[in-house]
Amino acid sequence: MRIADLVNADASLIGRRCWSSDAVYELEKKGIFGRTWLFLGHESQIVAPGDFVQAYMCETPIILSRGMDGQVYANINSCSHRGLPVCRADHGNTRRFVCPYHSWSYSVEGNLVTIPQEKELRTRPDKSQLGLKSVPRLESWRGMIFGSFDENIIPLDQYLGDMRFYLDAFFERFPQGIEFMGAPHRWVINANWKLPVENQLGDVNHGAFLHAAIIPREAQDKIAELGYSVVTQPGHGATFRLMPEGAPVDDVAWGMEAMGTLLGGNEVQDYLREVQARAAERVGSVRARMKGLTYGIYPNLSFLWSNTSFKVSHPRGPGKVEYWSWAVVPADAPAAIKKILRSNYSSFFGPAGILEQEDSEVWSQQLLGSSIDFADDRPYYYGLGLGEEGPHAELPGLVSVTANEFYARQFFMRWRDDLQAVEDAL
Amino acid sequence: MSEVRAENTAVLTTPEQQRALERFYHFEARLLDNRQYQQWLALVSPDIQYSMPSRVNVQVDNRQSGRESMLAVEHELESADSLGSPLREETYIHLMLRVERAFKINSWSESPPARTRRIVANIELMSEQGDELQVVSNFLLYYTRPGTQSVLYSGQRRDVLQLQQGDSTADGYRIYRREVIMDYANIELPTLGLLF
Repeated sequence: MRIADLVNADASLIGRRCWSSDAVYELEKKGIFGRTWLFLGHESQIVAPGDFVQAYMCETPIILSRGMDGQVYANINSCSHRGLPVCRADHGNTRRFVCPYHSWSYSVEGNLVTIPQEKELRTRPDKSQLGLKSVPRLESWRGMIFGSFDENIIPLDQYLGDMRFYLDAFFERFPQGIEFMGAPHRWVINANWKLPVENQLGDVNHGAFLHAAIIPREAQDKIAELGYSVVTQPGHGATFRLMPEGAPVDDVAWGMEAMGTLLGGNEVQDYLREVQARAAERVGSVRARMKGLTYGIYPNLSFLWSNTSFKVSHPRGPGKVEYWSWAVVPADAPAAIKKILRSNYSSFFGPAGILEQEDSEVWSQQLLGSSIDFADDRPYYYGLGLGEEGPHAELPGLVSVTANEFYARQFFMRWRDDLQAVEDAL
Repeated sequence: MSEVRAENTAVLTTPEQQRALERFYHFEARLLDNRQYQQWLALVSPDIQYSMPSRVNVQVDNRQSGRESMLAVEHELESADSLGSPLREETYIHLMLRVERAFKINSWSESPPARTRRIVANIELMSEQGDELQVVSNFLLYYTRPGTQSVLYSGQRRDVLQLQQGDSTADGYRIYRREVIMDYANIELPTLGLLF
């Protein structure tokens, strides 16, 4: 099986084994997770020296920490002696990580500090060579920390490219940016990691169908009427509504239509109106009219603007995903407002979400279809809207209506190229 | 030596009161397993606060070494009161939306519907002030649905019930607050959106 047989030239046909093959997954590790920028966490999670959170790069456990020098560090959570994880808590603050097996201890920056048994021996290992393995590249943008296993990867700024224009439409609305609230929800789903990614990259079209029990038809019609789907470069995309000029503030303002806000009273509503009132001066008139839906950053980071959550789809083999999601709020909002805004995420998305319970169901069901025999001659049809995308005067990237599946074709063209590069080198 | 603190012990109930509580919880469990969610909603106060803390793997605090407080469950919870990220914090409207959804043919994750069987036990009245009762109970819930492996949900419910004066039927209480403590950090379950 060659990758070229799984994704055709214009990526309008996607083979079932893309989602279920062990061999494909091994290529993904090398060609994608070993060579891209992967999201690790947000600076608001590690503020004080000694603060740490756990993260993953594909299946490799990472400790993301704030060193005693105030710098950010990312190290692989595996002891240099016998390989055990040396950090066992999801987050916290510490001076040392201690391996349970023989008590080798590491500083929060990842340096090996003590080997307790060495005092009984004549030879002393060179501790400076035995620290935790550090993530070779580490950069952050707007507080979002990414790591890469590829020492030669392009700078993060460049990697994000025009996605920064769309991310800033949200981040820059708030004078102090955003903050991640609490620990991520970690949901283990029997699905391939790429389907949650595809869902959040641009598939707002399923809302009218899969979520018809909850989302009213009129809301879906509005999305179809005002919605845009954008691909800034293959694998990176955004969907949003561009509200008409002069639309009432309550129609345009982020968060106003969410249930927590509607039930939350004047304080939260006035806060969101105030944010919107300053939006044009902060992000410009076009982006002030943007009302975001879903964002995706290659390979596995998603941002659900409508319900304000960041998500990472961590693979656990081809048929399982550990789907992490964080509630995200404006850093400068009062605590009571942050609490209301976080509920706009958790009631509808995440492991208890009334909407996302249907998504996780179809992601698992898709894996069933991707694992069956005798149907490899019938790849999935990804051709909706083929070639209908084009440039836009005010929006960077390729732009189209939300029903056009070009975001997914563009993702799979990049995916195919990344895997073929590994295949060709074998 | 350790001693059992007063706030940790249940109130001594009369056999009648204990039986009334058991009767209420068994009735509630039967309604939920029989998918009679609309009748279940009638047991819920319109002012209900329904929440589910998230649960994390915490760093043990060395300074509490040797003390029970070191392993306190409360350290692991990001509750509705915290500035963390609880799994659920809902009102009556949210619960109503969940119930309405259940009776639509396009509630796809449970269409065909899941089968559940729950055992509610260890019912303890923790305090009683006027008509307001604080009750904790444990549950095990067996859950199966097409295309999904069967799973076991395990957790505790911390309720505030209100006694309905002059109401002598089996549903003589209303659920005024419910906090559901699930026994998971990683959620290896199809959904936490059930009515627990």
